[in-house]
Amino acid sequence: MSSFETDGDCGERANAAAYALGALEDRDAFREHLLSCRGCRAEVAELQLAVDALAGTVTPASAPESLRRKVLDAVRSEADLLHAAGRKADRAPRARRAPARWRLLTAASAALAAGAAALIVLAVRSGSSNAVRVTAAQIAASERGAHGALRVTGGRAELVLGGMRQAPRGQIYEVWVSRGNGSAPAATDALFGVTRAGAASVAVPGSLHGIKEVLVTHEPLGGSLHPTSAPIVRVVL
Amino acid sequence: MVRFMRAPARGASRAELRKLADEELVQLVAASDADAFEVVFERHVDAAFALAYRMCGRASVAEDVTQEAFLALWRGARRYDRTRGSVRTWALGIVHNRAVDALRRSSVHDRRRAHEEGAEEALEAPERTDVQAIGNAASAELRSALEQLPLEQRRVIELAYFGGFTHVEIASMLDTPVGTVKGRMRLGLQKLRGQLHRWEAVGG
Repeated sequence: MSSFETDGDCGERANAAAYALGALEDRDAFREHLLSCRGCRAEVAELQLAVDALAGTVTPASAPESLRRKVLDAVRSEADLLHAAGRKADRAPRARRAPARWRLLTAASAALAAGAAALIVLAVRSGSSNAVRVTAAQIAASERGAHGALRVTGGRAELVLGGMRQAPRGQIYEVWVSRGNGSAPAATDALFGVTRAGAASVAVPGSLHGIKEVLVTHEPLGGSLHPTSAPIVRVVL
Repeated sequence: MVRFMRAPARGASRAELRKLADEELVQLVAASDADAFEVVFERHVDAAFALAYRMCGRASVAEDVTQEAFLALWRGARRYDRTRGSVRTWALGIVHNRAVDALRRSSVHDRRRAHEEGAEEALEAPERTDVQAIGNAASAELRSALEQLPLEQRRVIELAYFGGFTHVEIASMLDTPVGTVKGRMRLGLQKLRGQLHRWEAVGG
């Protein structure tokens, strides 16, 4: 009787509701199945409308003023930064040649510095209770056109990138932190991809205390414990 | 309406922005227009916070979740696809995902307690205001549709959606076979969907 049974034969159909609710444990396998099953896709699309409506069943509440202020302050300062970075990027010197291949992070640092727009900006927004420190990122010459900055507010750091290329097939970006003095970079669980437009923003896990550098490399999906490629982004604190 | 930011230089364009539909504003947000973001933010922040609060059960966590979600929206506005729903649905979807992430970082035991407390507190809303009276009518109808579901169906849907529990966790909590849990989710969502269809028919 119902419009949900567009294809009663599929044995996976029972997973559609749990999937739409975000509660299915083997999410990836079902997502794969959806690529080839029109009936399940239709069911998920239908049930998703019901799931979306659930958000509207909650008792209304007013967002606290502190939340409004934090979000709008952050957005204003990022918009300022992006507009400023856009102007600076236009004037950035072009890298003369891309390094062939970096094997070691330490060996890469010189090449990074020689790459596009090695520029440190320290911006402290006055008049705001939370000082925001913004440090521009150094970008490897192989990612020409990309730009980025590390934004630190109250001990929490966030890397904001733009103009990045998609990570190579089967790879993902990984964030590393280094304490300097030749010590090996430590892996973080911050793994990320970039939007179609090449943008990404990712929180740097943990405290920045004692951290000298924040780095980004390409790594196999799932991340690595030790870097397997040269850094693409480096922020020197 | 209370303003927290300095008045922008382009005051006139502010008023213009408020006349735009969410979908148009999001295109401006994708071009890093902070004024456009503020308009979108003000339209949806209360609903977003209410959802996060219902899920996380604590105002401080809900505040963090809502903040993260709106910053993600600001930075990822290009990803908005209007064929997949309204800006509000999209924004609340981001809030929901972030809240589930926050919930799943804590133990099943803590989450269960938070879920039960959240469900209780949902009965007495924090900081109700008159502004929300309009939203209340629609949400009351939706709520009653959810409440009319058989308890066993409603329970698995609420545990999954608001509690962030997986179907296997729910099966174990309720001491019910996994297949039964999935079946109840399906029946409950189908009934809710049917109810929405009827409203659409009436509204159209």
